[in-house]
Amino acid sequence: MRDARGRRGEALAAWLLTLPAGLAFLLLLLAPTLAAIALAFSDYELGNWPPHWIGFDNFREMWTDRGFRISLVNTLVYVAIVAPLSVAGGLALALLIESVTTGRTLFRAIFFLPVVSLTVAMAASWQYLLHPTIGPVNAMLRAVGIAGPAWLSSSDTVLLSLAAIGIWESVGFNMVLFMAGLTAIPRELREAAAVDGAQAAWDRFRLVTWPLLGPTTLFVVVISLIRSVRVFDTVAVLTRGGPNKASEVLLYTMYTEGFTFLRLGYSAAITLVFLVIVLALMLVQTRLLDRRVHYG
Amino acid sequence: MSLQRRTLAAATTASLFAPHVLRAQAPVEITVHYAQPFIFKESYDAIAAEFARREPNIRITWVTTPNYEEGMQLILRQAATQMQVDLSYQGFNRLRIFAERGIAQDLLPLLQREGDPARHGYSANILSLGHFGGMQAGLAYAASNPITYYNADLVRRAGGNPDAMPTDWAGTLALSARIKALGGGTEGMFYTWPGDDWMFSALLFGHGGRMLSEDERDIAFAGPEGLGALRLLDRMVKEGGMPNLTREAAQQAFAAGRLGMFFWTTAALRGTIQQVGRNFDLRTTVMPVIDPVRGRLPTGGAAGMLTSRDAAKREAAWKFLRFSTSVEGTTLMVQNTGYVPTNQLAIDEPRWLSEFYRQNPLFQAATRQANIMIPWYAFPGANSVRVTQTMVDQQARIVEQRATPEAVLADMAAEVRRLLPRPRG
Repeated sequence: MRDARGRRGEALAAWLLTLPAGLAFLLLLLAPTLAAIALAFSDYELGNWPPHWIGFDNFREMWTDRGFRISLVNTLVYVAIVAPLSVAGGLALALLIESVTTGRTLFRAIFFLPVVSLTVAMAASWQYLLHPTIGPVNAMLRAVGIAGPAWLSSSDTVLLSLAAIGIWESVGFNMVLFMAGLTAIPRELREAAAVDGAQAAWDRFRLVTWPLLGPTTLFVVVISLIRSVRVFDTVAVLTRGGPNKASEVLLYTMYTEGFTFLRLGYSAAITLVFLVIVLALMLVQTRLLDRRVHYG
Repeated sequence: MSLQRRTLAAATTASLFAPHVLRAQAPVEITVHYAQPFIFKESYDAIAAEFARREPNIRITWVTTPNYEEGMQLILRQAATQMQVDLSYQGFNRLRIFAERGIAQDLLPLLQREGDPARHGYSANILSLGHFGGMQAGLAYAASNPITYYNADLVRRAGGNPDAMPTDWAGTLALSARIKALGGGTEGMFYTWPGDDWMFSALLFGHGGRMLSEDERDIAFAGPEGLGALRLLDRMVKEGGMPNLTREAAQQAFAAGRLGMFFWTTAALRGTIQQVGRNFDLRTTVMPVIDPVRGRLPTGGAAGMLTSRDAAKREAAWKFLRFSTSVEGTTLMVQNTGYVPTNQLAIDEPRWLSEFYRQNPLFQAATRQANIMIPWYAFPGANSVRVTQTMVDQQARIVEQRATPEAVLADMAAEVRRLLPRPRG
């Protein structure tokens, strides 16, 4: 009898304790998401009330919209460059820093600096560095007789320049995550592998370190993919999607459609596509990689 | 005690229903919004100080947004929820959106209460800057037009005469090529085509062209004037050696003394003077002339628009709008910003501004072109802003030399046609 009441009290307490988090989730995440989904099926424009229900028209328009297609392709190209290179770069940096004995903290701080600095402010520095006529990068190229490109205003190089900034931004973040993963691997395992005949450093990395880093790598890969799909600040500050949509990316398209062109319904539809991509990425990554990852 | 309290309560309730005469004596508080405080703050402060002396009963709460775009979003958001702003100064090309959505109020009846508007300096030309959607949606507060900024040192080094700049594009492009030939990363010129359609309309209007037909059912820029505009852009790259830069990069290069000529709005003059400092001899002049007879220039800038839904506040907001665009208001505006005056009396009567222009010769260029300023065209319908982006995107193909002016004009025409509202019925 008392047992049952105690259990009920415990359950009640549990509900009460989860209430704040539950409410926050409902109000801050679920409700806005549902509102965005509803808007995606309407022709809502800022200042034009009430909106009309238009079914799948927004999605049909997206299918034929050249701007949206370019934006989607650009985003995929950006992710395909930034995610693998920032994961590989982060791992390489972590291994290099782990292998040195002096200056570890210094190097870690240097490479981590881009992560803690404000992207918008950093974008301004990049704008100066990559300036076609007064920028140091092109000045150096000119000194050796090469006419540098207009990094951020030529449609040939703009996406690559943004990707380079994106890598620079996230490589330090990945490095720190990998370093945390590396410290969790017992030194004895590597020593035992050396005794067992894995003399070359590469063999020890391939046989011991890499498999044991599995959970970390999985996490870093997923985070890198999501972070790079979310690219926005550098585009908004440096190129505004130009020239001729050469650097138009998903979130920037969403922003201009919604807030510059005032078409909130269409913008919500793009948000939905973005949401589906992010969810799919997480699902595919965890499902596919989960099976192969070795949780020591 | 309790009786007293009830009387007091009754008195307060009664005062709520008291006629307007009683309330008019009480101070009225209005909220005024404007964009770009880094450009306009000093001018509004000066006008508000003078206004406070004349209307001590009107208190103003200021709301600012860093740019016109966020200013537009603010008012549209408030229109959907609760309008708190009584008077808002918006970019000319956005007024149409507010007029078409029933947010801006027609100012003509208010103006006509004082008789003929032209007598107070509101000439037909000046009123047309704020006339959109079939009504007087706004009153022009500050007007700008594109001008030529140039680096007199570079012009001199390239063998040009900074006191007698070429007045047509052929001479300008030749000079640009000579400046570029100085080498060392020096560029000849930059025409500010990215951003919006404003500078493109300067090329189009310069040829005497127009964006849409008179009845706004079809485009009108796809003819010889539009082709002339795009061919000129093409020549800037081919003959003038114009580099492919973003607007910010071009501004930075100019301020650093590495760009000979820079074509942009006079609104940027104050900022440019500060940026350049003593780096070089900065000068300004009028735009190179395209068609001396039919050529026109677009007008940028801001107009005040009434959004108040409360009668007393609307009256007070109108008083401020009226003062800010009067001859006294516009004089204070010009002295504190460098924009072109928007009251005909200030342009015609030398006692208001001639002293200012004598002391600040750089500000003369825009006012010398004031006679050929026409409204910045705003496209009709839901896609009005999107159309301008399409035009910018298409011009990029010419600047990058990936398409001929003929091909770009055809694509631009097709895309803009698709975005225009379909005629009803």
